[in-house]
Amino acid sequence: MAVVVPPRPAGAEYVERLERQWASRPGVLGWLTTTDHKRIGLLYFWTTLAFFGAGGVEALIMRTQLSTPNEHVVSPGTYDELFSMHGITMIFFFIIPMTTGAFGNYLIPLMIGARDMAFPRMNALSYWIFLASGLFIYTSLFMGMAPNAGWFDYVPLASRQFDPGRNIDFYCLGIIFNSIASTLTAGQFIVTIFKSRAPGMSLNRMPLFCFAFLAASLGLLFALPVLSANTIFLFLDRNIGTHFFDPARGGSPLLWQHLFWIFGHPEVYILIVPAFGIATSIIPAFTQRRLTAFPLVAIAELLVVFIGFGVWAHHMFATGMPTISMVFFAAATAMVVIPSTIQVFAWCMSMVTGSARFRTPLLFIAGFIFMFVTGGLTGIMFLAIPFDQQVTDTYFIIAHFHYIIFGAAVFPIFGGMYFWFPKVTGRMYFERPGQISFWIIFVGTNLLFFPMHIVGLLGMTRRVYTYPGGLGWTAFNFAETVGGFITLVGILLLFGNLVVSYFRAPRADQDPWHGPTLEWTTTSPPPEYNFAVVPTVTSPYPNWDDADRERDRAKLARGVLVLDEGHEQPAVTPVDGRFAEIVEMPNESPWPVVLAISLALVFTMLLIEKYVIAGLMGILCLITLLAWSWKEPQE
Amino acid sequence: MTGRAARRTGPLIFLLAAVLLLAGCGNGQNALAPASHQSRDIADLFWWMMGGAWIGLAIVVALLFWSWKRRNRRGLGSDRAGEKPGERASWYVVVAAGIAMPIVVVATLFVISDIFVIQTTQAPASAATKLTVQVIGHQWWWEIRYPGTRAVTANEIHIPARTPVRVEVRGADVIHSFWVPELNRKIDAIPGRTNSIVLDADEAGRYRGQCAEFCGLQHAHMGFYVFADPPARFRSWLAHEATPAAPPSSALERTGQRLFMGGACSSCHTIRGTNAQGYVGPDLTHVADRTTLAALTLSNRRSDLAGWIGNAQHYKPGNQMPDLNLTASGRQALVAYLEGLR
Amino acid sequence: MSADPARVPVPRTTGAESPAEVVAAVRRRAGPPAAWWGMVVLIASEATLFGAFIGTYYYLRFETPVWPPLGIPEPKVVVPLILIGCLALTAPPMLLAYRAAAAGRLRAARGYLVLALVVQAGYFAFEVHDFRDQLHTYGITRNAYSSIYYTLLGADHAHVLLGILFTAWLLAKLAGGLTTYRVNAAQAIAWYWVAVILLTFAVIGTLLSARV
Repeated sequence: MAVVVPPRPAGAEYVERLERQWASRPGVLGWLTTTDHKRIGLLYFWTTLAFFGAGGVEALIMRTQLSTPNEHVVSPGTYDELFSMHGITMIFFFIIPMTTGAFGNYLIPLMIGARDMAFPRMNALSYWIFLASGLFIYTSLFMGMAPNAGWFDYVPLASRQFDPGRNIDFYCLGIIFNSIASTLTAGQFIVTIFKSRAPGMSLNRMPLFCFAFLAASLGLLFALPVLSANTIFLFLDRNIGTHFFDPARGGSPLLWQHLFWIFGHPEVYILIVPAFGIATSIIPAFTQRRLTAFPLVAIAELLVVFIGFGVWAHHMFATGMPTISMVFFAAATAMVVIPSTIQVFAWCMSMVTGSARFRTPLLFIAGFIFMFVTGGLTGIMFLAIPFDQQVTDTYFIIAHFHYIIFGAAVFPIFGGMYFWFPKVTGRMYFERPGQISFWIIFVGTNLLFFPMHIVGLLGMTRRVYTYPGGLGWTAFNFAETVGGFITLVGILLLFGNLVVSYFRAPRADQDPWHGPTLEWTTTSPPPEYNFAVVPTVTSPYPNWDDADRERDRAKLARGVLVLDEGHEQPAVTPVDGRFAEIVEMPNESPWPVVLAISLALVFTMLLIEKYVIAGLMGILCLITLLAWSWKEPQE
Repeated sequence: MTGRAARRTGPLIFLLAAVLLLAGCGNGQNALAPASHQSRDIADLFWWMMGGAWIGLAIVVALLFWSWKRRNRRGLGSDRAGEKPGERASWYVVVAAGIAMPIVVVATLFVISDIFVIQTTQAPASAATKLTVQVIGHQWWWEIRYPGTRAVTANEIHIPARTPVRVEVRGADVIHSFWVPELNRKIDAIPGRTNSIVLDADEAGRYRGQCAEFCGLQHAHMGFYVFADPPARFRSWLAHEATPAAPPSSALERTGQRLFMGGACSSCHTIRGTNAQGYVGPDLTHVADRTTLAALTLSNRRSDLAGWIGNAQHYKPGNQMPDLNLTASGRQALVAYLEGLR
Repeated sequence: MSADPARVPVPRTTGAESPAEVVAAVRRRAGPPAAWWGMVVLIASEATLFGAFIGTYYYLRFETPVWPPLGIPEPKVVVPLILIGCLALTAPPMLLAYRAAAAGRLRAARGYLVLALVVQAGYFAFEVHDFRDQLHTYGITRNAYSSIYYTLLGADHAHVLLGILFTAWLLAKLAGGLTTYRVNAAQAIAWYWVAVILLTFAVIGTLLSARV
């Protein structure tokens, strides 16, 4: 009897060759030396979740301390470390690396039809530096000398005179260390988005997700150096004896504030703009409709970061600035409202005119819109300078920025986790627990943050480790603490659901949502090489362009644009996306880890004032870079 | 479920907020219980803005609710994936509600608050006030001086009611922030510069304030009172406050004074009319007249005063007052002496 | 190179093996490579850092009535301007080195780089000597002026040093032959030097503005 051999799928031999070219090194060594953007994205994902947990524990301890007046859960010194580390952790070690490092890394090459980032080894370096900087700063907590002057460390409080221990030195060095990772990531995204798109993907055919990440990356690129300059000044003042901030010798405490907020305000847009990108991916998928007013939204995403560079002194309205300066910054703050309102109504109208399916990801986006609008409306109130001067540095402000950060950054992150879970893991998630987790988190966060508006207006200032009874603050604080624990329950349910789904839920095929962008055209999870052929792209919603997908299948069958001669990917011209050249990408490399370790040694030596050894470690870094650059990508 | 639940919880939150807000009325530190022209302007601004905010939120919630009602349905026109049903109408909404309406609202708010209201809350012109008070923020207490007199006190400010008073604020060590919400907005106390603000209480009363810029370990315990007195009472208070300390009138008080001058106390605290001259801690010349101790941390009753002197670190850990290693009788004498400093 | 050139309309630049292939590939590709864009991004970041330093200089200046404060000599004019002029003269050789490498003229490229490296190193040695001399007249910890003066100038010298290391590295790489990677590097490093020279002009201009 003849053996029946099933017919091979068209193009199978090309796929096999790609599989061999792109096979990753097995085992732990494979993960340590990986340059694959998907693996790096996953590394970021788990690491940032650990920091999210730490930041959350810090928050819940604070909420417990504040649940009733005159509590003694923690000492004032510990409380100061807690609120400082909570802010630092959530901003620098959770939101930024989760959105850019995890979501950005994993999805941008997939969405632009590329096989990897433009500089894969540098991508790995970003992750290892991020991890090292997080460990560096958290060492301070375990040694009882964590930063304790807030996440913004105003001087003179943060100067050597008033904060003599190593706490603020951990802060300065840790922040500079971390900003190297974020700067490298920002540069990576900018070059990748401009040079590594699939040929034919001109900028107006690029998904809005990528516009959002481009805006955030440009923001990071221009904001982080200002923070670095500021922390360099503080480090020098504290350790060498310079006088940048010392009014007795010509310095100025307000210099710190200006430089900090020139970084700090763009930073808050950088926190939420990638989340806008997540929203603009989820809404089309769950309404089966192209997003309303695409060009307005794309421009708005870039504009909000750009205008955001001009509003910084609205954080300083209580410092006694001249009226004319304050009015200028209030006017700029007024302008920055418009790009956000454009986006809110574009999202809403897309949901109204499309056919909305309220699965868990879209629920989180609806929740995000509600929270973002609430936080944004109180933000608009701050352009009224007298009102800002009344409520700045109170719990009203805490309410505002938590509605924005938790609502406009964390909700989309949670929604995005559900949305892309099938793509990354190859499994669906359980829908019912997903919806329940959303509702619990929604109720919890509103109970946690809404009363803060009221208690701030009733006079409760921020960063207080306790408060007296009899001022009418107690009931609100207690309610907030309850809300915090409810939020915890919801978050635990969310992650529990994802973990159980990973092991028990049904398998997902490559396109469970009929999503709009290119990641849905490849397998779940994607192969190492992402796409077997360089995809044909004629719109920002390629997975809905059936003709182009048909063309790709034909290309694969004939072996056209498979690029299997090596570890290859195309490069294009920045604006029109014309095919420019084919470049070879590097394979695994040990040098990113080694360089991150060497840098960690530099910063550790600086911390313990061994400056000469720090210099020697710097030379070690240069030698590592030499070794790194010795092997060129094609070798 | 989204829109419906949100519509139900929205007004509920508002109602709850209003009820609980009124519960906090009378705490002396309530930005929405204004006691001056300045705070009233700010509070009015807030009520209008909040009204506008609820309307804005309601519009967005209505849109979300509408999208929920239309869920799983065919769109306005074609329902093929990737189409843009109702695109023209959507553009109109985006431009009208997302560009035009915000521009109008924001511009109006800007003009009203930053051209008009701001004129009442900004630093006063020098001719506008007849009395100046200097406030210097320390870690973690407030030094109060009345230039032109010898009056120096701490953590309590007296001003004549219905009189615009200029308060000049600066920081002695780190940045603090002077905030008494029922009378005006906050102004930072920064080392190396002097900021000004006006206090003009509508009526006599006691108003509570607190440091509003994180200034270290005991930032949470850096409150102060502003007493607006009828002008005659204020004048007599000021005159009395300028006088030197009353001499001790009993043997116990004399013992207390000896302990004070001979021990660590006199190196940190000033008592005018004696040899005690220190600037680390507050001026104690008329300490018995004050309503609280340690910047509103404790009352000024005998038991609290004794507790404070015996173990200041217990009540305000990290503050600059060390353990004085007093015997019980020593403490008793000191308490007697300090209570005599009216 | 490609197994089937008809299928692939653009060069496989990293796959170029001989100098002739490199030259052809570099000529055929459209637009500057990712490496150049990466350098642009790095320069943008560093320029912002210097912007913050220069902004700080002027902020402190306008808060201080006497600038430089009493007891500190005004910065010298002639020697710094001559030095920066010399440094600026190394920009043409760096750019020419890139053009030579892209055209396959390896010996010319190396020659230009050696010339540039000698002048750059000489400039740096002079500046270090000058820096140390100044520190002896007044230290960095004297006041706000000295703090920002030495920090701004020191940051500039650090970037020059980095550029010297780049030039030396490139020279060492080109000693081993020509690849597309090395041509890309030459282009990026030439533009790094243009940026550093412009930044140095800005820095010197800022420091000399104390005399106004």
